Amino acid sequence: MNEEIAFLTVTALAIVRALPVTVVLALTSALGASAVAVALVAAQATRVGRPLAQVWIFVFRGTPLLLQLFMVYYGLAAVGPIRHGLLWPLFRDPLFCAFAAMTCCCSAYIAEVLRAAWQAIPPGQVEAAQACGMSRWTRVRRVIAPQMLRLALPAYGNELVMLIKSTSLASTITVLDVTGVAQTLIAHSYRTLEVFCLAAAVYLGLTAGLTALLRRIERNLERGTGR
Amino acid sequence: MTEVLRARGITKSFGGRAVLRGIDLDAQAGDVVSILGGSGSGKSTFLRCLNLLELPDAGRIEIAGTTAPLDHDRKGRPRIADPRALNALRAKTAMVFQNFNLWSHMSVLDNVIAAPVHVHGQPRGEAIERAHGLLDKVGMTGFAQHWPRQLSGGQQQRVAIARALATDPDLMLFDEPTSALDPERVREVLDLMRALAAEGRTMLIVTHEMAFARDVSSRVVHVRDGVIESMGPPDAMFGAGASPAFRAFLAH
Repeated sequence: MNEEIAFLTVTALAIVRALPVTVVLALTSALGASAVAVALVAAQATRVGRPLAQVWIFVFRGTPLLLQLFMVYYGLAAVGPIRHGLLWPLFRDPLFCAFAAMTCCCSAYIAEVLRAAWQAIPPGQVEAAQACGMSRWTRVRRVIAPQMLRLALPAYGNELVMLIKSTSLASTITVLDVTGVAQTLIAHSYRTLEVFCLAAAVYLGLTAGLTALLRRIERNLERGTGR
Repeated sequence: MTEVLRARGITKSFGGRAVLRGIDLDAQAGDVVSILGGSGSGKSTFLRCLNLLELPDAGRIEIAGTTAPLDHDRKGRPRIADPRALNALRAKTAMVFQNFNLWSHMSVLDNVIAAPVHVHGQPRGEAIERAHGLLDKVGMTGFAQHWPRQLSGGQQQRVAIARALATDPDLMLFDEPTSALDPERVREVLDLMRALAAEGRTMLIVTHEMAFARDVSSRVVHVRDGVIESMGPPDAMFGAGASPAFRAFLAH
């Protein structure tokens, strides 16, 4: 029994030590994906950008993230200009490759969430802004963006939860995140269930924290409409 | 008399169906023009063409000396030649909508000061001071910090009118301002519009309120099948000189 507790303690500590990797990957990917998603939505409002954005979304939403990770980490290393180019120090780093693949993939999903929110804005809200002479940028800033934020938040939160869990795939390209460390520990101890349970608990804690935060933001936004 | 509106030969079709088939309309400063007509006659579309919420297929629009920057692309479809000129034109007008269209994420006060601050560059403090005066005027004193959804339809429409007045527009466009209101709320909005007419605001009003059109307008316009079927001072339009078609519309 004592041995059991000692094992679990050591394992839990090792997994928690890997937490920063998971958090950094999730946070940077979330920021990157959101920024790219905003750019994709903006691009869809232009004639040249629309097909490009649509192809981006089609490709990254339509292929598995796991394959994207493999292609970025293992695949690009075989491409001469990258292998011998200025960006090699970046693409040599598995954590950066995971960030790049996740940014591309999740941006496609978030762009669709934002586009749906854009389309859900009642036309009258935009017409009122047009009718008083607001420029396009002022309309976006004062009316469209705030309303989009409100409409997109629940689905956007969902995407962020998925994103946190997807970071575990980075372990397949040698990133020692929570899942990566868990697998290493299992290789030493063969105690699959206990270790994975501890790792799962860590993800559960992360997503629970995120969910609570999102609910709070949502409540604050709702207060801002007198509901 | 200063000319505020000159619209010439406005046409518009939707999917091959001609909704406006050449409308000319002028308005002088202080005119209150009521635009009447059956549903589908094109009266709302005409109003929305004036501030280019709909792009007319052809025609010329001038508001307070500014010409609407209308143009056609190579396929002959209408387009905006110059977005900045369009915004400048729209800034001279204000529109009151059937469904109020107050911005739901802004307080009443923010709704009223949005155009003065973000379009006309008025200092915020000045705009707020003026907004409070306008809210008093429309009978919404004390509602500045409320949210649109907390208000009744009539109250929302009165705030929308305060919002429209905030930029001191040369031309006010009312698109069926009482059609979405409960019968008992119609009165409070019409009374307010009556007061605006009395103080010399230039107003174009698409409405179904016949008594209001008769009592308040300086001119009544009857639109039918996308053209102006008849128009004149209310005495003539509602009196013996009315056209048979308008008389039929009234009797309907």
